[in-house]
Amino acid sequence: MVIAAPITGIAETATSPITDKRWHRLVVPGVVIIAIIAVGYAIGHEVPTWLDAHVKAKVDQAYQWTVLHGDTNWLFTDVFDPIGHAISWSTDHLLSLLRTLRWPGVLVLTALIGYRTGGQRAALTGVIVLSGCGLLGFWDHTMITLSLMLVSVVIALAVGIPLGIWAGLSDRAEKVMRGILDTAQVMPLYVYILPLVVVFGIGAPAAVIATIIYAVPPAVRITSLGIRGVAGTSTEVGSSFGCTGPQLLLKIRLPLARRAVLLGVNQVIMMAFGIVVYASLIGAAGLGNDVLTGLQKVDVGRAFAPGLAIVFAAIAIDRITTGQRPQRIVSDTVASRPGALLGRRFMMPLLAVGSLIAVAVVAKLLKADHFPSSLTVDVSKPVNDAADWVGRHFRKGVPIVGGTESFSDFVVINFLTPARDLLQHAAWYIIVAAVAAIGWASGGWRLGLVCGASFVGIGALRVWDLAMDTLSQVLVAVVISLLVAIPLGIWAARSITVERILRPLLDVAQVMPAFVYLVPVIFLFNVGRVPGVVASVIYAIPPGIRLTTLGLRQVPEAPREAAISFGATPRQELLKVQLPLATRAMMLAVNQTIIMCLSIVVVAALIGAGGLGLETVYGLTKKQIGQGTAGGLAIVLLAIVLDRITQAWGSRSNRRAGAQTWAQRRFSRGPGLTL
Amino acid sequence: MAEASISVRGLWKVYGPRAGRIVGSPDADLPRAMLEAKTGCVVAMRDINLDVAPGEVFVVMGLSGSGKSTLVRCLTRLIEPTAGTVMIGDTDVTAANRDELLDVRRHRVSMVFQHFGLLPHRTLIDNIAFGLEVQKMAKDKRRAKAEQILELVGLAGLGQRKPDQLSGGMQQRVGLARALATDPEIMLFDEPFSALDPLIRRDMQDEIVRLRREVKKTMVFITHDLSEALRLGDRIAIMRDGRFVQVGTPEEVVGAPADDYVANFVRDVPRSHVVAVDSVMAPPASGGSSGTVPLGTKIRDVVPYVAASELPVRVVDASGTVVGSIDRVAVLSVIAGEDLAPVAGG
Ligand SMILES: Nc1ncnc2c1ncn2[C@@H]1O[C@H](COP(=O)(O)OP(=O)(O)OP(=O)(O)O)[C@@H](O)[C@H]1O
Ligand SMILES: [Mg+2]
Repeated sequence: MVIAAPITGIAETATSPITDKRWHRLVVPGVVIIAIIAVGYAIGHEVPTWLDAHVKAKVDQAYQWTVLHGDTNWLFTDVFDPIGHAISWSTDHLLSLLRTLRWPGVLVLTALIGYRTGGQRAALTGVIVLSGCGLLGFWDHTMITLSLMLVSVVIALAVGIPLGIWAGLSDRAEKVMRGILDTAQVMPLYVYILPLVVVFGIGAPAAVIATIIYAVPPAVRITSLGIRGVAGTSTEVGSSFGCTGPQLLLKIRLPLARRAVLLGVNQVIMMAFGIVVYASLIGAAGLGNDVLTGLQKVDVGRAFAPGLAIVFAAIAIDRITTGQRPQRIVSDTVASRPGALLGRRFMMPLLAVGSLIAVAVVAKLLKADHFPSSLTVDVSKPVNDAADWVGRHFRKGVPIVGGTESFSDFVVINFLTPARDLLQHAAWYIIVAAVAAIGWASGGWRLGLVCGASFVGIGALRVWDLAMDTLSQVLVAVVISLLVAIPLGIWAARSITVERILRPLLDVAQVMPAFVYLVPVIFLFNVGRVPGVVASVIYAIPPGIRLTTLGLRQVPEAPREAAISFGATPRQELLKVQLPLATRAMMLAVNQTIIMCLSIVVVAALIGAGGLGLETVYGLTKKQIGQGTAGGLAIVLLAIVLDRITQAWGSRSNRRAGAQTWAQRRFSRGPGLTL
Repeated sequence: MAEASISVRGLWKVYGPRAGRIVGSPDADLPRAMLEAKTGCVVAMRDINLDVAPGEVFVVMGLSGSGKSTLVRCLTRLIEPTAGTVMIGDTDVTAANRDELLDVRRHRVSMVFQHFGLLPHRTLIDNIAFGLEVQKMAKDKRRAKAEQILELVGLAGLGQRKPDQLSGGMQQRVGLARALATDPEIMLFDEPFSALDPLIRRDMQDEIVRLRREVKKTMVFITHDLSEALRLGDRIAIMRDGRFVQVGTPEEVVGAPADDYVANFVRDVPRSHVVAVDSVMAPPASGGSSGTVPLGTKIRDVVPYVAASELPVRVVDASGTVVGSIDRVAVLSVIAGEDLAPVAGG
């Protein structure tokens, strides 16, 4: 006894602080969650009627007010209307300029710009690809879309690049902007679309501004990344020779960040073209509208052809704006003859403008107003035929696997419906408590609070059942995407051949606007919830694969070598070294997959997935602004919860193996993102 | 005009929150880890005092992390010192306003960097002309000047190349040319040759020796290579934990290391390579001699004479007057490392 006492004493003092902590960590959240459930039980199984933020009614009222007072209130007459007019003016004039040039002039202009930036190759590609839009019979609509896109892109760059430079130079600016951009990134487009519609009405200005808001973040981010990426030694060299701040920027930082800035330009273009169809939801005419009409009529051919034209236009613009100009070798003799240089500097632009005007004049004389109809090919009929064929042959009766229809039934019966039923039939407070608990376990009480509050917010928006429907689809899509993407990503990281095969596919997938996926999906699955899930999966897989591969590739050589030197098999090396060290990247892949799947919810609604997306589409197309806002806000709340939770997973493992910076993370999300 | 070209008094650099309070406080003497734990600060350089005479080559040596780069960058405030003053000629750099500081950087001091610091987007000519461009010199004028300097460093005709088309040695020649182009009084070198292989390094050192002879610049030269320091330096400072532990001529440093740290540094240097006849010679002896050497000759170079003959060697000054003599015993005692005569003042 006497001897035992001190020993237990030691044991107690040694262990009690730890058990104490554990006790706190488990019991406090436990009590809170039990309390939530108890309160919920008292309130009732359904979201109580008094828990209603009256968002729909209030937004509808506000909208009514703007409709009534739009002509008289100073905010409209002095601020919004002039902005709207300026945008309309620019797009109209750009369009009439393009029309004055006529199609031969536009092609020559494309060639000239391409030649200037990327040499013959870029010129040729630009011309050929852009002609594709004409061949598809969409020249005129392409010009409408182009004029909208170009105005958006120019404004987005004019805003984004200076902001990016500022963020690159000042830590404080970067911090502020990072907060805003991070939030913007998980915000679906509709969150800004709806207020824009309220303010500017349906039409080109709202569409242009939505595109700008959507495309500015990557420009800021990439520019800032580029400026920050300039080696400290280079700026130090500048300072050591007495550069002033502006001299440093102009002579050192910007030239060295040139590639990054060009990449920013490219991203902005891709982002802008990625949402052409969305822009049409709020009144942008042109190709996006054609796609939308096709989709709404479930006419695959009519959606496909303009979709293809959008892709062509995007590729053409991309090629002529970001071509790597071949290095000009200025021989000493040319450089030293001032006359020659002068000639180069002034003759070339003169020649270019001259030839452009000449072509335009000739085109006018020849009355080449429209792209020659003899050249156009109607692809919608063959596409429809192909769709029918595919539908007939793949929907049913494929040996063993059965066909897409049975696949579809399988997914619905075994996954979608059970998941939805589970979420919808569970008492709402249990879901709130569960989400809060997951948040708590992932990132502490603050995150738990945010998650719980967000879900209560969804209840208050009165869209609980729709949200659960959407959530079930998103979760199923995420699980399927990860099951495909992570193994493929690991495989690609371990085999050069696999990566060589996957890489171009992933590249193409990234520049494709999201809705392009819908077309083949409709081919195979008709409309409904499954095609929505399939579209999300197709959309989310590329970044998933890419991030997994990237994460594994970034694992430093030394530990792997060490493992091999101890006789680890490739499998052991993967499981014991690479995967643990790539946890953060894997979590990032999960995070991105979720965001991508969520971002396509509205698109999915266009092909019958229902849920919150439908609510939003309805709000936009039928001017049910209140309803649309409620749906959009609920998607945002879902996005915030899922994003924050998975980000917390990532940053936890980060402490062990932090490799990627914020910028890389957001950067790797890449273009073609339609959120 | 002040006598010294560079004059540094009580210079400190402390990284961390509220760095100023560390300067001169008892905390500054804490070991690095303790200080960092206690205050979150790192003392990179402490209480440096230094005068470099015009035309002198002042070498700073020390292990990695001892604060050499910090020191050299504080001289033109590329790193802002925490306390102390730096005078370049009669300009107080630490008190200078923006324009004065730019003037110092543009016209009076230039720097050669460890990893060359060439700007990859510019041709060699434009790299060399960079300093002139920043001064807003007209384009053809600065090009012409850069062309001249390119020739001086032996790269004539390569002006239109980009830096990545050159080898490391050639790149550092461009770095050197760029620093020369602004025709500064003072040149700062931060381990300029440590990224080069030994043969090219030797070449570049010769280049510095030649420059020093021909253009008479004041130089501050950072290196962690002792033989480089001994070859180039008029004086050598040994740095440790941000302070100078010894400043002296190569002979002093090798001959009379101030502490174990320095002794460790110079342990492997044969003294005969460093010690000159001046410090060990006896008064002129009458009688025959085995040869004549000028003042400043290293003992190593006297060995052949005393090996060939038992007669002492005569030492003459610049005008040819015999000022001393040195015999076999003196040479051997230097080589054996004993009984070094009182070193000559530096
Ligand atoms: N920005 C900084 N923040 C904190 N500590 C720093 C910073 N820069 C340098 N230091 C510290 O100051 C000390 C001196 O650094 P410095 O670069 O001057 O060393 P050095 O002698 O040039 O070394 P090397 O031979 O490796 O170039 C180092 O211990 C370093 O850790
Ligand atoms: Mg250094």
